[in-house]
Amino acid sequence: MTAWSHPLRPVDSGVGRTESPWRDTAPPAPGAAAPAARAGRARWIGWALCILLATAAPGGGQPDPERLTVISRDGRRFLPTVTIGGRTMVAVADLMAPFGLRPGDDRRPGRLTLLRGTAVMVLTANDGIVSAAGRLESLSTPPVERRGIWYVPIDFIGRALPLVSDRPVELRSRSGLVLLGDVRVPQVAARYRRTGPGSRLRLMVTPAFEPRIERAADRLFVTFEADAVDLVLRDFFADDLLRRVLVDDRRARLELELGDAFGSYTATRAPALAGSLDVEIDLTPAAARAAPPAAPDPRPAGGAEEEGAELPTLADLTLPSTIRAIAIDPGHGGTDAGTRGPEGTLEKDVTLGIARRLQAAVQRRLGLRVVLTRSGDTTVSLDERAAIANNNRADLFISLHANASMRETASGAEVFYLSPTEYDQEPGDVRTGGGERIPVVGGGTRILDIVRWERAQLRFVDRSARWAQTVAEELRDRLPMSPRGVQQAPLRVLVGANMPAALVEIGFISNPDQEVQLVSPAFQDAVVEGLLRSIVRFRELVEQGFPADDPFGEDDAPDDPEEIRRPVP
Amino acid sequence: MSRRTWTGKIAFGAAALAAAWVLFVGLPRWYPAEESAAPIGAAADPSTGGTLTVATLFYVSDDGMRLVGSPLRLARRANPTAQARVILEAQLADPPDPLLSPIPPGTALRAVYLAEDGEAFVDLSEEIVLGHSGGSREELFTVYSIVNALTMNIASVDAVQILVDGVEVDTLVGHVDLQRPLKQNIDLLEAPDTDWMPAEDASPDPDRSS
Repeated sequence: MTAWSHPLRPVDSGVGRTESPWRDTAPPAPGAAAPAARAGRARWIGWALCILLATAAPGGGQPDPERLTVISRDGRRFLPTVTIGGRTMVAVADLMAPFGLRPGDDRRPGRLTLLRGTAVMVLTANDGIVSAAGRLESLSTPPVERRGIWYVPIDFIGRALPLVSDRPVELRSRSGLVLLGDVRVPQVAARYRRTGPGSRLRLMVTPAFEPRIERAADRLFVTFEADAVDLVLRDFFADDLLRRVLVDDRRARLELELGDAFGSYTATRAPALAGSLDVEIDLTPAAARAAPPAAPDPRPAGGAEEEGAELPTLADLTLPSTIRAIAIDPGHGGTDAGTRGPEGTLEKDVTLGIARRLQAAVQRRLGLRVVLTRSGDTTVSLDERAAIANNNRADLFISLHANASMRETASGAEVFYLSPTEYDQEPGDVRTGGGERIPVVGGGTRILDIVRWERAQLRFVDRSARWAQTVAEELRDRLPMSPRGVQQAPLRVLVGANMPAALVEIGFISNPDQEVQLVSPAFQDAVVEGLLRSIVRFRELVEQGFPADDPFGEDDAPDDPEEIRRPVP
Repeated sequence: MSRRTWTGKIAFGAAALAAAWVLFVGLPRWYPAEESAAPIGAAADPSTGGTLTVATLFYVSDDGMRLVGSPLRLARRANPTAQARVILEAQLADPPDPLLSPIPPGTALRAVYLAEDGEAFVDLSEEIVLGHSGGSREELFTVYSIVNALTMNIASVDAVQILVDGVEVDTLVGHVDLQRPLKQNIDLLEAPDTDWMPAEDASPDPDRSS
């Protein structure tokens, strides 16, 4: 807990880290930031508990030296974090004052109700899904109640609080920043590398904030017209041109501590993709001053591709890291009625009815974009359905159907995903191999990877299996299931889907009892609720990169050990 | 010496005659039941005098949750394509009770081709689409009863593509991809993992079918 307030923090690769010589501000007491006595008291209780946990708690929580920095128009404050069960958590009591929360009246054990204005948030101990203002949000790990104190994982701040807050709330977990309200904090992804005798510091500024670069003695100041700077520095090794990169949060600037060999610098800036600004600062040693790197791009041949990896490419074949849009495919339609129940219920009507309910629920309660492959009683081919999902950049595909059997007793829901055995013999890689050169707007060409239709789903089969499994697990709690809960089959509508995809047969319309169920609003609501929960859970899996066994693993572990995470301990 | 030789020659001749009689007369008489076992379907007409083979055909289980294999005696054909036709016609024919066929009644075999690379092309009449009740479960059973009947009974067939009225189709009724030859599916034969299935085995007794 030595680095309470540390406006100027050294940032380096973690090798040979030294204390900043400008640690000029006296660290305030931990409770100083809390304006209300109540919050201060709660914080002290929280700290007392931390110590208790550190010494006595079974399984051991430990005080975490890290804390979050909340940046708002009113200034900064710090949120202490603790580690419980290997997860970085924050006490709910510490969130009350900064985010204007107050406790609700519901005092039932195992539940915590929080109010903000008229919005209600309900947390349940050991349930990773929180209800906030009528929407469901998943947390990376469930809230924990320890001796009357509630702890939530830090992603609660980024996921649940925005739903009830009247100001934007953004969590930058990588840098430990919480942006509250209308604050301007550009993210600066920095890379430093040698370019022959000189070197280059490349800053990708998102969104594009124009920096002001000035030299003062042995430093370069890179100042942004912003409230703070969110720096992510990768692979930094000090050399004789640049010794350190420091962040001055209060002045929203970077300080580059120059080395002995430094002679001069040039800076270029260019707009980059996705609204970023690409700033390149070339450092030239004193001896080589005669050859300023003004002329053609001296970018090393091998480096171009690597650097380009920071930018989103046009044909992005990397798997998405969250779910933003979901494609819902109501089976059959138009001239294709699907199967028909003994009382005349048509599959196409059942699937459309459930799809519309699901669409409304996903939009309202999850805030995701919904793509319907048909919104009325129209005939749409199977490949067209996958194409609609692909073209609208859906991240997840669910096809809704009702089943039939010649045996009247057959009943229950079944979930399918693609069996790849019929498709993995297709010649060639997933991509067409080498890509195709396509002219782009504004001149020039760009190489695009083309994915074969027949192989689009292949690279998602593992994810589709998890998706189908998740759907089956959530439906199982709410509906009768067929003995064949999850199966693989070569279903045409799934073949071309360029995203995790599953087809659910909600029930057997050929079974008289199920025919009645399938049209009842209560049953359809149960289906929608199950699918909604499975979307929430699957999104969580995607965001965590599909941890193998621990459903809440990996999230906090830095994937790159050299990556600098703020705050500096 | 010469007498011994004659005795040996006579004994050898008698043995050869007896063996020939057993082979060509006795055995067929001893096992006449083979011919009287009337196989279903017109393909295995015993009057053609052809020998018989046992093939496994596929039907819907009692609970409607899986395919069950049922061994039937069918006419043996030396030519794999002719054998495929015999098997398919039996699979398309109405089965005796209590077997339930997953193939819509009236579906006729228009043609069958066996390609050299192990793929078979089965051209069926449009009744297989028009008479289909729909649903993924039923469509899987329809398609894989045909695919499995060929891949499990004819060694040279690895995969089967179903055509309808002579043309390639996306699917029969909106689910199973028929744009390519399909391989054998054994999963559909296996009992689902469950406790509440009927205790008795759904597969019919093979003897009942003869």
